[in-house]
Amino acid sequence: MDFKFTEEQELIRKNVREFCLKNVEPIAAEIDENSRHPAELFQKLSDGGWMGIPIPQEYGGAGADFLTSIIVVEELSRSCASTGFTISTHAGIVCTMILLFGTEEQKKNYLTPMAEGRHLGAFALTEPGAGTDVMAVTTAAVLDGSDYVINGTKTFTSNGPTAGTYLVFAWTDKSAGRKGMSTFIVPREAPGFRVGEHFKKMGLRSSQTSELIFKDCRVSKNNLLGKEGAGLPMAMAGFDGGRIGIAAQCVGILQAALDESIRYSKERIQFGSPIARNQAIAWMIADMATDLSAARFLAYHAAWLKDQKLPFSKEAAMAKLYASEAAMRHTVKAVQIHGGYGYCKGAKVERLMRDAKITEIYEGTSEAMRMVISGTVLR
Amino acid sequence: MPTVIACFKWVIDEAYIRRGPSGDLDFSSVDYKIGEYDRNAIEEAVRLKEASGAKAIAVTVGMPEAAKGVKDALSRGIDEAYFIADSSFGNLDSSQTALILTEVIRSRIEHYDVILCGEGSSDLYAQQVGPRLAEQLGIPCISFVQKLSLAKDQLVAERRVDEGIEVITAPLPALVTVLPDINVPRIPGVKDTLMAGKKPTAKIIKDDLPPLSEPLVRTISLTSSRMERSCERFGTDAAEIARFVGSLRKKGVIG
Repeated sequence: MDFKFTEEQELIRKNVREFCLKNVEPIAAEIDENSRHPAELFQKLSDGGWMGIPIPQEYGGAGADFLTSIIVVEELSRSCASTGFTISTHAGIVCTMILLFGTEEQKKNYLTPMAEGRHLGAFALTEPGAGTDVMAVTTAAVLDGSDYVINGTKTFTSNGPTAGTYLVFAWTDKSAGRKGMSTFIVPREAPGFRVGEHFKKMGLRSSQTSELIFKDCRVSKNNLLGKEGAGLPMAMAGFDGGRIGIAAQCVGILQAALDESIRYSKERIQFGSPIARNQAIAWMIADMATDLSAARFLAYHAAWLKDQKLPFSKEAAMAKLYASEAAMRHTVKAVQIHGGYGYCKGAKVERLMRDAKITEIYEGTSEAMRMVISGTVLR
Repeated sequence: MPTVIACFKWVIDEAYIRRGPSGDLDFSSVDYKIGEYDRNAIEEAVRLKEASGAKAIAVTVGMPEAAKGVKDALSRGIDEAYFIADSSFGNLDSSQTALILTEVIRSRIEHYDVILCGEGSSDLYAQQVGPRLAEQLGIPCISFVQKLSLAKDQLVAERRVDEGIEVITAPLPALVTVLPDINVPRIPGVKDTLMAGKKPTAKIIKDDLPPLSEPLVRTISLTSSRMERSCERFGTDAAEIARFVGSLRKKGVIG
């Protein structure tokens, strides 16, 4: 067994940390408060080549392995979970899916600009009536001459308002069941496509989320990703990688909760000594540090399996389940350690707690993760 | 095409040093980094390269673990590196480091125009290596530089001195020690880091060098500095201010 990172991975972690302290940490509270997409920050991320980390250099990426991209998502999330998540969805799911399933032309036209950071990507599967139950999707696409015509509404689409390229899932043959859904690459300027309502969220507020509306939306048949009917397995493959990204996001949130809790509990004096000397506080911090390590190893292991081209669905689900529940549990504790100060705006732990909640919900709820894991181990 | 050399030291990142219970320094879980001012020296070398098409070379002397530092320097835009490594090079003093650098630069780098060093290293800050290296190479040394440019056959440097700012020129080749104000070091992107290992690095071992000189400095012990706090709190009204002044008098801080 080898738990060592490469020298490059260690240097990249240091560099992204420095980048975050300089560019992300100072604006994280403000972009949360105002639900603002920080275009200026994403420009800097593009300039530094941080937008397409796991994508080969020939397609505009950095050509690093998936584990390296996970380290970056973790460190970004340590400063701002919204930013970490936005990059994770963009590179870890949308870019990666076009890399895996796209034609050369699709990679040139859609993957390369995204990996270079010229615009964001979004993944559109969820609908008002179709969450965990993906078969309940109603959006449909019909071939008309050389175009597909898409009709339907997607919801809770992360990067919806800010993306330039969308991966949209729609039935091409509902009667074929799990083999009847297809994936389309929809550019923002496609006729018949518009961004619907923007959602105001409890946490992850600077990540932009919206409805997407397709009304006789036309895309060329060249925009079909992979084969007709291959959409669902593709979505599942996208989710598997995405879940490792969410686990990494949670590791970043947990690390931040631990950093803040250690700092505050050493500074805060009650009854004449720092509260860290109280066993009640010290043990909360011990549990937090332990779960952080466990979540981190689960996430890195799943990423490592993916890099080795070994099966990783179960491990990705386990990493996401464990890390998200640990992030929720311990950010609540971090607020508790901070007392009244932790409940007020301006305390980082308050934001961390709100940001943590969504990680138990999106890209598969904790319940869905347990379905995936039990389905594998009980097989 | 001018050639610019940046010298750097791979030092312990002070953020990771912990203080032991008896004031001793705990280095058990430290990480390393390129010294802060040395990062400015590297950045300045790369800026000169970008401005004048120079070749930027980095040179370092250190333990074999400093290989990571060489990659770090190369990821910052340096074209090639000379890495002088030995497991006994962890505690060289400034005079030994300067002699090793002199030997390597003299014997391996045929032509150079500017040598850049940080004003001092992040760990010891002795400010010795730069001036010693210049002296041994027989070239001018310009210290405390906060702005630098190259003109034909000379450099123009702004020095920050006690009395103000001094602008001077020096014939090339010359050695310059830089202050942190000279630039803001870039943060390498992922691609820069991944490509660093592919750039040329000449590794030089102890046996390739003449016998090491004796150190001029002997470290007897290391201890952490301590800031004592008396944890007294004062208000802002007249009585409290009087009490504050009285307290400072009592401690002998003011007369």
